[in-house]
Amino acid sequence: MIEASVRLRLGEFQLNADLRGDGVICLAGKNGSGKTTLMRAMAGFLPFEGFVRVGGADVTSLPTEKRNLVLVTPSSCFPHLGVDSHLIWGAKLKGSRPPDGYLLKVKSELGIDFGGKVSSLSRGMRQRVSLATVLISSPRAILVDEAFLGLHERETFISAYGAMAKAAGVDLVFSSQDEADGALADHLFLMDSGMVTQTR
Amino acid sequence: MNWLRLISIASLLLLLVPIFVLLYYGLGPFRNAAGYSVEVFRSIALTLFSSALAVVVNFVLFTPLAYYLARGNDRVTESLVDIPISVPHPIIGVALLILDSPVTPTGRFLLALHINFYNTMLGLVTALVIMSAPIYVKSMQPYFESKDPSPEELAMGLGASKMRTLFSIVLPDSLDGLTSASLVSMSRALSEFGSISIIAFYVLQYPFYGVSPASVTIYEFFSGNMAGGLNAAVTASAAMILVAIPITLAGHFVRRRTSR
Repeated sequence: MIEASVRLRLGEFQLNADLRGDGVICLAGKNGSGKTTLMRAMAGFLPFEGFVRVGGADVTSLPTEKRNLVLVTPSSCFPHLGVDSHLIWGAKLKGSRPPDGYLLKVKSELGIDFGGKVSSLSRGMRQRVSLATVLISSPRAILVDEAFLGLHERETFISAYGAMAKAAGVDLVFSSQDEADGALADHLFLMDSGMVTQTR
Repeated sequence: MNWLRLISIASLLLLLVPIFVLLYYGLGPFRNAAGYSVEVFRSIALTLFSSALAVVVNFVLFTPLAYYLARGNDRVTESLVDIPISVPHPIIGVALLILDSPVTPTGRFLLALHINFYNTMLGLVTALVIMSAPIYVKSMQPYFESKDPSPEELAMGLGASKMRTLFSIVLPDSLDGLTSASLVSMSRALSEFGSISIIAFYVLQYPFYGVSPASVTIYEFFSGNMAGGLNAAVTASAAMILVAIPITLAGHFVRRRTSR
């Protein structure tokens, strides 16, 4: 279960949003509706009034690195690493090594059938590697901000990613400009002008 | 007629006139054997060695500061960084002398730990670090600012501390910026005179025992304390310029490549 109540002001823009749900959550809204701001606040990159709870634990006052709540954007990757080192970077940081079987399963489900240095990969391949890296690190929740955008067979990928996240007990929040993406999620939150206007 | 280009080139020539004058007279009419003697080349070697050491210290100690300034919003710290290069440089030499003087408590403490700045390699490098680190920080800070923070945010989300993120994620992808900033700060260290002429007029340690930094040697020729006089000072200056120019140009070249 992920719960957030975020109030903040950035210049003229005001965010006043509440979000609550578990499993796969789609945050839909037009450009500038506040999706990115909400996710950045939840991940600990913006100060705000309110709270963020993940699995019942209040992480509001924790720094980003202690929240176990990972934000992924289209350019979130470590270009100097090789694909395999990248995939286990987060898990290794926590002192664990994912079982080979799980690693192979994630790679196969997410279509990571390539190797080499991340800097030499296409944008879509990099996004797949980053998203897989986060999943393998077993966080409490994953915040995917536009990082599904432009992926080949995007809907299949989101479904597979969401299923694996749920199987691992990880809550997934992803942003989209297309309300129809709500069909891929357990919950849909519509955002407009910094406010959550509708929920399912 | 492109007046902007014309005025720009004219103003640049104005800046370069002293360099051309020294190269012309130093390698031509004023050429003096004392100006390219073994003593001069040992001075230049000491300057290069101590400046390179200062760059290593800059990298280790001041890269985190540059990153902190780039990713934080600490305007006070940012303005404090400029202080060492905004005061007359001999003041830094005097400050180091006082800091390490047997008549001050700090000096007694440092000397008890066998830390001696006066006419030592440690003093020379310390002065060069203080005079070149602000240039290093001011060169690295905009480089870090120009980098997309997404990889760093991913690393922190995965549990990496800011320091771990800097060393594991940011620096391996910043070799061009680090090289450029290091070369630019080394150029600054090579040109230092004010502070080192007070704290390390010469170095009393192997392998540079009795050797003065190049800028001090040139001053010694000029002031008549070393045989050769003005002609040797001009010749040694030309030799030093020939050594320094490639480093300055390399720093500039890497920076241009970085900013593309």
